[in-house]
Amino acid sequence: MVSSIKVAITPHEVIEREISDARSAGLTALTEPAAKRILSSYDIRVPGSCFIDSMLSPIKASDELPPPYALKVVSSEVLHKTDVGGVRLNLSSIEAVTAAMAEMQQSIHSKGIKIDGWLLEEMAPQGIELVVGGTFDIRFGPMIMLGFGGIFVELLKDVTFRMCPIDLVDARQMIGDLRGARLLEGWRGQSAASVESLERTLLQMGGDGGLLISLLKFADEVEINPLIVSSNGATAVDARIILSADR
Amino acid sequence: MNAPEGDIDFSALFKPRNIAVVGASASSGGPANNFLRGLKRSGYAGDVFPVHPHAQSIEGFPAYRSINDIPCNVDYAYIAVAAQRTPAIFKGLSRRIVFAQVVSSGFSEVAGGLALEQQLVTACRQVGVRLLGPNCLGVHSPRGLISFVEGAPLEQGTIGVLSQSGGLSIDIIGRGHVRGLRFSAVVSLGNCADLGVPDLLQFLLDDPLTKVIGLYLEDVVEGRRFYDILRAGRARKPIVLLKGGRTKAGQRASSSHTGSLAQEDSIWVALSRQTGVVLVDTLDQLLDALLTFQFVSLHPERPTRRAVLFGNGGGAGVLACDAFSRAGIDIAPLSHDTITRLQQLKLPAGTSIENPVDTPGGVLRHEDGLLGVRVLHAIWDDPSVEVVVMHLNIPAIMNYANPLVVPNLVRGALDLQSQGGRSVHFVLVLRSDGNVDSGTEKAKYRELAREMGVPIFDEFHDAANALSALAAHETFLNSRMDTSAP
Repeated sequence: MVSSIKVAITPHEVIEREISDARSAGLTALTEPAAKRILSSYDIRVPGSCFIDSMLSPIKASDELPPPYALKVVSSEVLHKTDVGGVRLNLSSIEAVTAAMAEMQQSIHSKGIKIDGWLLEEMAPQGIELVVGGTFDIRFGPMIMLGFGGIFVELLKDVTFRMCPIDLVDARQMIGDLRGARLLEGWRGQSAASVESLERTLLQMGGDGGLLISLLKFADEVEINPLIVSSNGATAVDARIILSADR
Repeated sequence: MNAPEGDIDFSALFKPRNIAVVGASASSGGPANNFLRGLKRSGYAGDVFPVHPHAQSIEGFPAYRSINDIPCNVDYAYIAVAAQRTPAIFKGLSRRIVFAQVVSSGFSEVAGGLALEQQLVTACRQVGVRLLGPNCLGVHSPRGLISFVEGAPLEQGTIGVLSQSGGLSIDIIGRGHVRGLRFSAVVSLGNCADLGVPDLLQFLLDDPLTKVIGLYLEDVVEGRRFYDILRAGRARKPIVLLKGGRTKAGQRASSSHTGSLAQEDSIWVALSRQTGVVLVDTLDQLLDALLTFQFVSLHPERPTRRAVLFGNGGGAGVLACDAFSRAGIDIAPLSHDTITRLQQLKLPAGTSIENPVDTPGGVLRHEDGLLGVRVLHAIWDDPSVEVVVMHLNIPAIMNYANPLVVPNLVRGALDLQSQGGRSVHFVLVLRSDGNVDSGTEKAKYRELAREMGVPIFDEFHDAANALSALAAHETFLNSRMDTSAP
């Protein structure tokens, strides 16, 4: 399932289609599955997943998607899923998924939030949690950010920016800029993370012909958070794409 | 109406064949009168045409009723009349003006002034005039013998400066000259309504007289063009940037971490890391860095990271170590061989032959400074040294009143540098107590250092920051040595 289905359209066409669908639906941000389809089209690895319309549809993922699972709510009304109790991790079986879904549905509905469906994903491997983001500066154009600490990125403020497009030297220097960079080399017995896959992700995002240059024509902000980097690669575990009102 | 495309030939601005001056007064003074007097004083050789409705002559130059009455086309028009009257100057123009510079203020820098500025730009473009300013002092150009500072020294140098503040451009010329900087051009840009930072940056990058570039910027409207020129330039000339307003908080609300973390400062740091432009925080750091780049040959193969300190004053040396360490320059231990060589010199008691090499004033005075030169020689050959920082305390030197000591020491270092052995930078720190006598003495040594091409600083932290700028530039060149095109 891991981005194995190659579509016959270009990444740029994927962006245009997803943006147009989201705009027609009156959304201000892409849903997580839509954001991840865009990442996949640029060969950025996302967890294997399946989308579940509603609790009533039978879950048949187990053949292709091995446990443990992450279950996330998909709702155009929710920007930060954890804030509404919309994420459950390390579910060991389809039965556990069904039970978790029932609990979450009740609690989210009780907050008056509309649920569009569910995203069932394989759990990402353990690794270093980073953030790769993009913003549009009105003077300098698309910019890429690399930050340390996943959801703690604003607390740690261990971040570095570059103008797009970046080249490999820029990507390497960005990694070197982070105070936490040494954790990637393996710290206190942890195995070293794949720096090459992180460099590749930065170039897929911010390089010449990368995702950000195309996407920031339509979006104000793009963020993979967390990007988990382990010894066997980098995985975009969650992604957020905020549409621009004026571009 | 858009700006014309393509490269601009700036020779008519920096070396004009003639100059029209609009706004000088027949009786009293003002910026245009100062400018005219400056032209007389500098020996400007081209024609000067003051424009005045009825005066016969102004500041000794015959005056003309209007620009159309001037008998030829004009390379450079200096305009200092009330803002509202500026657009009309270009209406019905039958003479060609290549560059017009508008000193007047009262345009987009004040509330409600934007429309007038747009009228001025439109009026200029309709008659093919390129506009500098408005709200700017203009150009200081030794090659053309013109300056917006009356009586400013016009010795030809290699430092080109662009400033979005007129006041700071005066400081840069004045304070810079005293410090030993010599300019190829200083431009006060004002509101950049037509000619902007990218246009003049491109000129300085291409200008054969300019070796080093300094920038004081507050905002760059054409940010992307500015960045693209810098990125394409790949730091082929050292560029030092003092950016005002870097601490400004982010301006827009944001729903992602990336958006809220994108502060003004992070954008300028990004620009610096990607283009090799060196960022500094103060005007003095800008001047000290430019002074350094003016004199040194760059060592991209071996960026400056390790210094040896040599001079008088133990406590000063300790503080120096802290200053250099904070600026990212190591004061590394000397090798065993170097220490052995220093021991063989049998230096008097009280000399420390570790790094920093701390010698009492008497050692420096010995043999008119030639013993000190032998110390320098031993240090120079140390495999770890990338820069030698020689520091002298002026009151201590004055007490010995031997005028040969400092020149001998500096010449000794320059001989080592020119012997073609190891490429080692050499800089001087001349500390003073602030007394008038010390100041006079210091000015003398400062001039000596300039003639000999040695960067000289007031204090250790000044030298440390300047060397840090040098290191940043060399490190950028080093990181891009294997990569060709952007």
